Amino acid sequence: MEKDKAFMSEELKNRTTTRQQQPAWNPCGFMTEMSTNELNCGTEQVGNYFFNPNWENSMDQSDPFESALSSMVSSPAASNVGSGENVMMRELIGKLWNICNSKDIITNSTNASSYSTPLNSPPFSTDPGFAERAARFSCFGGLNDPLRDSLKLSGHVNGTQTIKNSTLSRSSSPENAESGVSKEESSVSEQLPGGNNKKRKSIPRGKAKETPSPATVDAKVAAENNDESNAKRSKQNGTVKASNKEDSKPPEPPKDYIHVRARRGQATDSHSLAERVRREKISERMKFLQDLVPGCNKVTGKAVMLDEIINYVQSLQRQVEFLSMKLATVNPRMDVNMETLLSKDMFQSRGLLPHAVYSMEPTFPFGYQPQQGLALNNGIANTTSQQGFQLPQVNGFIDGNPQVGSIWEDDLQSIVQMGFGQNQAQCYQGKSIIQHPNYTRIRVGITQSIDPFFVWCRFNSSRPSEN
Amino acid sequence: MDSQHLNPSSLKSRFTARFLRALIKINAQKPISSSSPREIFQRYRRIKVAADKSMAYSVRSRRTWSRATLWKLRSQSRRRLASSGRRSSIKTRTTTTTTITTTSTNHRAAIVEKTSHEKENKEDHVGLAVQAEELRELVPGGESMDLCNLLDETAHYIKCLTTQVQVMKKIANLYSLE
Repeated sequence: MEKDKAFMSEELKNRTTTRQQQPAWNPCGFMTEMSTNELNCGTEQVGNYFFNPNWENSMDQSDPFESALSSMVSSPAASNVGSGENVMMRELIGKLWNICNSKDIITNSTNASSYSTPLNSPPFSTDPGFAERAARFSCFGGLNDPLRDSLKLSGHVNGTQTIKNSTLSRSSSPENAESGVSKEESSVSEQLPGGNNKKRKSIPRGKAKETPSPATVDAKVAAENNDESNAKRSKQNGTVKASNKEDSKPPEPPKDYIHVRARRGQATDSHSLAERVRREKISERMKFLQDLVPGCNKVTGKAVMLDEIINYVQSLQRQVEFLSMKLATVNPRMDVNMETLLSKDMFQSRGLLPHAVYSMEPTFPFGYQPQQGLALNNGIANTTSQQGFQLPQVNGFIDGNPQVGSIWEDDLQSIVQMGFGQNQAQCYQGKSIIQHPNYTRIRVGITQSIDPFFVWCRFNSSRPSEN
Repeated sequence: MDSQHLNPSSLKSRFTARFLRALIKINAQKPISSSSPREIFQRYRRIKVAADKSMAYSVRSRRTWSRATLWKLRSQSRRRLASSGRRSSIKTRTTTTTTITTTSTNHRAAIVEKTSHEKENKEDHVGLAVQAEELRELVPGGESMDLCNLLDETAHYIKCLTTQVQVMKKIANLYSLE
C-alpha cells in the first residue's frame, strides 16, 4: 500500500505542474475538480483529487495550513488521527480490490455498512480508483457546510440514477424490492458522514458510472425505480438537473474546469456559477488569512478583514525596516560568534545564550493587537505627531551635531515615527528608549522594549483616509 | 535545547544562512564603531536590501512576490551601478536597463490592463476594490493579480515576513547581548 501513497504524491506533483488555473489550495477546489471524466479514468486519476498546493512543494509541516492539508489528505479533516485512519483506508482499499475480483458483491451487500466498520467495506466498485476516492470522500465528512455545497459534482445523468435511487431508499424506508445494488450504494452513501443529502447524492452520482458490469442485472431493476426517483427528484431539484446537464457537457473536455452544481433556488447560468465559485475561493483564502493574522478571529466581514491584513503586512514591513536599522547600528563585536553560529544551527541560540530570555518570540502576538485600542505597557508621553515617512530626517542629521547620543535620539525618534505612521504617533515606547542617550543603554533598551515597541495599537495613523 | 533544531532546508534556515552571510559581508566592509550617520544609513539600506533579497532567494521563483522582489532589486542595483560613475560603460548599461525596463513596463502595463479588464468582468466585490488596491501596493508583484491569487500571495508573503522578522529579532538580540 505504500506505493499508493507514492503514486499519489507523484500524481500530485504532476498535477501541480500541469495545473494552470487552479491555485486551488482549498478543499473545495479539490473536490469540485472531480468531473465524471476523471472518474472514468480510474486509478490514474487518483492524484487529481489530491489537494493541489501551490505552496512549497515540500510539505512543510510547520505550516499550519499544510499540516492541515496533510491531515486532510491522510485522515478525516475533523480530527488529525493520522496513521490509524491511513491504515484503515488502506485496508478498505485492499478489501475492495479483493471483493471486486471475487465478485461477491451481492452476498456482501448485507454486511456492507458504514465506514466505521472498515472490514465490511462496500463491495461494489470495479474501479479501484473509485474505492480510494470513496474512502477519501469519507474524510470530508467533517467539512463545514460551505464546502459541502461546493462538493457538488456534475455527473452524467444516466449513471446517477442508481445512486440517487439508493440514497432515496436510505433516506426513506428501504425499498426491499430493490436488489443489492441499492443496498450497496446506500452503504456508500452511509459512508459519507454528514447529513447533507445533496452531497451524498452528488458524490455517488459521479461514481455511478463505475458500477456498470456487476450491476447490469440489477440496473434493470433499479432502472424502474429510477424513473420514479427521477420524477420525485425532478420536482425537488429542477434547477439542479438543468445545471447538471449544462455543466456536464461543455466543461468536460477541458479538465481544468470546475464543476459546480447550482443550489436550489439559485441562478444557474454559468456566470453566476463561476462567480459563486470565485466567491467561495476567496472566502476560503480569507479564512486562512484570518488564521495567519493574529487577533482576527472576532473580525467579520471581508472589508474589515482586508483592512486588518493590510495593516498587519504594513506593520511587518516596518518591523523589518526597524530591525535592519537596528542591525546597522548595533556594534557587532561578536563577528566570530556570528561565524560560529552560521556554521551551527542558528536556532540553537536559545540554548547558547540562556540569559537571552527576552521572550521575544511570543510577544509579537501581543504586539499586534488590531482594533483593540492601545495596549501599551508603559504609559509614556506622546511624541509629537509628524506627517509622512520620517526617514529623510535621518539624512537631516548629517548636518547636525555628530554626537552619538543625540543622533540616536533623532534616529530612534524618526524610526519610531516611521514605525507608527503619521498622525497619532502612539510610539510611546520610543520615548523610553530615547531617554537613554548612552549608546549601550540604548541597545539594551531597545531589546528590552522592542516588543512593546511594536505594539501595533491601532493603525488609524497609517490609514487616515478610512474611518 | 537541541529540540529547537529545524529542518535544514526549511525557509527559516535558508533565509538565516543567507542573511547572516550577507550581514557578515556588510559588517566587514566598514567598522561600525566610528561610523557617521550617513554610513549608518547606508548600512541600514544595504542590510534591508540584503534581508529582502535573501528572503526572496530562499523562496526562489516559486512565488510571484519573490520574483517581483528579485526583479526590482536587480533593476535597482543596475541603476545604481549605472549612476555610480562608470561613464563609458554606462551608456550600454543604461540602454540595456532602459530597454529592459521599458519592455518590462510595457509588459507589465499590458498585464495590468488585461487583468484589470478581467477584474472588471469577474470582480463581484466592488466594495473591496479599495482595499484590494492597497494590498496590491503592499505585496510586491501584486499589481497583476486578481483578488484570488492576491490573497494567496499575501498569505505566503505574510508567512515569509514573519519568518524574516523572527530571525532578524534573534540576530539583533544576539548582537546586543554581550
